[in-house]
Amino acid sequence: MTPLQFERENQDGWEELQRLLRDVHSSRTASAVAAVDGARVAALYRRACGNLALARSRSYPAYLVDRLEQMTADAHQVIYRRRELGLTRLRHLLAIDIPTAVRAHAVYVWVAAAVLTVPAAILGLLVYARPELILSLVDAPTAASYHEMYSSTAQSIGRPGGAQGDWAMFAFYIRNNVGIAFQCFAGGLFAGVGSLFYLAYNGALIGGIAGYLTQRGLGPTFYSFVVTHSAFELTAIVLAGAAGLRLGHALLAPGRQRRGAALVDAARGSVVVVYGAATLLVIAAAIEAFWSSAAWLPLPLKYSVAALCWVVVVCYLTLQGRHAG
Amino acid sequence: MPQATSDVLDTIVRAETPEGILLELRPAGLTARAYAFGIDALARLGIVYAASTVGVIFGGLRPAFLLILLFGLEWLYPVVFELALRGATPGKRALGLKVVMDNGLPITPAASFTRNLLRAADFLPLLYGFAILGMLTRRDFKRLGDIAAATLVVHQPRTAPKPVLEQLPPLAPAITVAPRDQAAVIALAARAPRLTAARLDELAALAAAVTGDAGRTGPEVTRRILAAGQWFLGRR
Repeated sequence: MTPLQFERENQDGWEELQRLLRDVHSSRTASAVAAVDGARVAALYRRACGNLALARSRSYPAYLVDRLEQMTADAHQVIYRRRELGLTRLRHLLAIDIPTAVRAHAVYVWVAAAVLTVPAAILGLLVYARPELILSLVDAPTAASYHEMYSSTAQSIGRPGGAQGDWAMFAFYIRNNVGIAFQCFAGGLFAGVGSLFYLAYNGALIGGIAGYLTQRGLGPTFYSFVVTHSAFELTAIVLAGAAGLRLGHALLAPGRQRRGAALVDAARGSVVVVYGAATLLVIAAAIEAFWSSAAWLPLPLKYSVAALCWVVVVCYLTLQGRHAG
Repeated sequence: MPQATSDVLDTIVRAETPEGILLELRPAGLTARAYAFGIDALARLGIVYAASTVGVIFGGLRPAFLLILLFGLEWLYPVVFELALRGATPGKRALGLKVVMDNGLPITPAASFTRNLLRAADFLPLLYGFAILGMLTRRDFKRLGDIAAATLVVHQPRTAPKPVLEQLPPLAPAITVAPRDQAAVIALAARAPRLTAARLDELAALAAAVTGDAGRTGPEVTRRILAAGQWFLGRR
């Protein structure tokens, strides 16, 4: 069969397929896509695949092969497209996928938690015993600004100057904290060393500042400020770090897979944990900006809400979605 | 595919579909991706500039609005465009690039998040150093985020126009010609209008044996080769 004969014989099917594909691409809503005859697209696509295989094996001219390649590639994208967005999917993610993924990464979560808290505890005790050590963590003006932020006379706690509104602080916290969490995750690509470093560094910083402020007698203000949102924030950083450690572990010990394939598998699983971390960080930023900073709230109320938040976070991660198959 | 093209010096990545055909993906290299990144950077800058002007209507909330916008542009801009606009940010679209999965499928949300969050690693040690290193050393030009997310940045295939062959009376070849060589002669006929006469003669001389003119060259031989191309295409 000559190329021209081949083209004449199959022309109609190709044109119909291209028309249907254009319909799919130009339709904006799901119902408009559903109106396109899917079975017909699939049938024409399979036929075009057969035509392409023939055209290639018979070395038909490039314009024919190109046309068939583009048509099949386009149809392949349309037919195998996965719809993963939408409210149902989001609900499933929050209700089942995230907590399940966190439990599947339990070992990494515990390691990450230890890498964050142990330096925090050590630095906290050290700085509490010898306050001048804070200067080896942060420079003097920063230390002074922390001191001022949590002094009992501050109007709203935990923010420099107090000139900016709650919303600005919300935005600032989101940007800052999400940056830290994503660094903890991405650091995993360097055999996990990056994650370990960011976790330990942030742990040391948090511990050092806590020790310094406690030693200065600002403990009540400081702890009442951080205790509520830290339920979400520290957990989120631990989760992001755990996801990063998973990446690093896959690179170091890929098991029976190639390193690249092991990394892809690890990333597919651990990115769900990062979704969880990002969600928690947005909640943390909202609480930190609108609730934690309010100096007028009575301490018992703050501590009760904080306890409730911790219980909710821990229960969510350990219990939620465990019966879902 | 019987025709062994793997020995050809090329960066094509082949992905097999369930139907048993091979999709050919052409990964985009550092230059194209750097230009796309530059355009996206300008677009983001433009958005920030426009927003800081428009932001006045938010009054006291303006700094908050701007900070949230910056956060969104920093982390979500590529994700949103890759998922909503069939795998391409405006910069990539301008350069004719798109992001697909390794197997040629449209990018999934999880993969898009992974490759864009891992920018934080690609960015190190400075100025996207690791990303550049990855793109320069790998055959498929992947940066770290692409490796972990199993994605590829590919050139979108351009629609090749059907060649308009000069109407020549078809000429039967003098010898039996293998399908692959037939395709080469047809391809030469399709390229003929874009070649200079001298170059066309030179190339046609290589195929002169087809019409029994082996060893000769000149416009007449070229005309006969092009006529044989018509024959191979199926004109009689």
